[in-house]
Amino acid sequence: MSIICGCVVLLVAGCYSNNCPLNNAVLCNYSFYDSQGTAITYGDTITVTTLKPGYKTVYIYRKLGNPTVTKNEPDTALVQQGYTESTAQQRNDTILLNRLTNASTMSLPMSYFHDSDTIIFTYARISLKDTIKIQHESYPHVELPECGTYRFHTLKSITATDAAIDHIEISSSHVNYEGNENIKIYFNGVVE
Amino acid sequence: MELWNDMKKKRITLHILIVLFVFLSSLSAIAQEQNTDPVMPGESPKPTKYVALEEEKEHLVFFQGFTLSADVFGPISLMVSDYGTLEGALRLNLKNTYLPIVEAGYGQCDKTDFNTSVSYKVKAPFMRVGIDLNLLKDKFQDNRLYLGVRYGFSSYQYDIAGPAMTDPVWGGSEPFNFKGIDCTSHWGEVIFGAEVKIYKNFHMGWMIRYKKEFSSTTSDYAKPSCIPGYGYTTNSTCWGGTYSLIFDLNWGKKKSHKRGVKVEIRDIPQQDENVDGIEQEDEEKIEKEGETDNGERTGNTEKVSTGEANTDI
Repeated sequence: MSIICGCVVLLVAGCYSNNCPLNNAVLCNYSFYDSQGTAITYGDTITVTTLKPGYKTVYIYRKLGNPTVTKNEPDTALVQQGYTESTAQQRNDTILLNRLTNASTMSLPMSYFHDSDTIIFTYARISLKDTIKIQHESYPHVELPECGTYRFHTLKSITATDAAIDHIEISSSHVNYEGNENIKIYFNGVVE
Repeated sequence: MELWNDMKKKRITLHILIVLFVFLSSLSAIAQEQNTDPVMPGESPKPTKYVALEEEKEHLVFFQGFTLSADVFGPISLMVSDYGTLEGALRLNLKNTYLPIVEAGYGQCDKTDFNTSVSYKVKAPFMRVGIDLNLLKDKFQDNRLYLGVRYGFSSYQYDIAGPAMTDPVWGGSEPFNFKGIDCTSHWGEVIFGAEVKIYKNFHMGWMIRYKKEFSSTTSDYAKPSCIPGYGYTTNSTCWGGTYSLIFDLNWGKKKSHKRGVKVEIRDIPQQDENVDGIEQEDEEKIEKEGETDNGERTGNTEKVSTGEANTDI
């Protein structure tokens, strides 16, 4: 009887343990290199934004002697403080990474339903910006029902401007939750 | 040099002594075998007839019939959980030791995860082939203790669906619903089980199955969460079990038949008068017994048989 009970416990325990991936975010992983291919820690501060399709309405609040405030939603509290409200149409861009400093890698999301992503690098030390265009395909994936749904991507091609970037290449085209390096960014200059 | 010669001589002497000892030992052993009955002084040794002795043995015929079985654990599992099977098996019985088996069934899984609301559905047939080995020493008894292996496979289509996927950054939404994803899975099983006779040819038994998935067709969208006949693929290995109602179709062949020679060792009667007198008395006694049994028995006193006895091949 005890053997049968033990077997039932093993039966239940053996088949129902959760085996979902620990890192459940699907991100495209970038690594930084100098122009010769040596891995580096990039010293400049980088802010990464992306272009989103369409436009959005923003609310701009101005008051004499105070900095202008821009908000996505109307703010009645500022109006009560004496700010003047106005609206404007802006590109629907968004910040993916804000003020990344002294980094050797970074991870960015990819769009689920677009074939192309445009990413803009803004540097603190130089006024120019770099624009990266990534062509990719996306598809849904379920590892196990208890782990939920994911969106995986396959990188097709990549191009970049040359303000601070020497060149760029795909190292692994499969973007999933395994954390592999996907894109290599070679910045101008050589580490001594 | 002299020392070396002395050592050589000693070694040769030792070898001769060992050979002599072995020779004498074997002679004495032969003498002991021949003189099992001590002969008293004044008696002449009895002449003995030796006949090769072959004990009466029971042998199992090679083909012992078929076994049909149906699993009851699978249907119960289907009623109380997300996964279950309806399966039966046909097993050959070879000498009640080797039992090749074919198991076939229909597996069903309909699971929706509570946290993620992702559902998985599959209904498909499956098949396993393998062999069981009866571990019990006494092969004549009706109970069995098994150790076995199986190779299983299933070709099936599964549906997977979940909440619509929404892009948190760029926006947009798309339903997540895939139907009829083709898949073929292969797996192996190591089995330990036992069965006992309940009534006549009806047996009941359980089996514990340790399963390992060998391969499954992969899809970009999903991997099979549950394989008919295997179970859940949460890990690469899995435990399972069956509880079977078993019916032996052996048509009476399962019972052993006897084969061999029944032999007795008898003393050859001595030629002196006393012995003849005793033998005559014996014969008369037996004849009388034969008469009392209405002539069913004859006066044959020889129990020595040289042919096959009780053969029913």
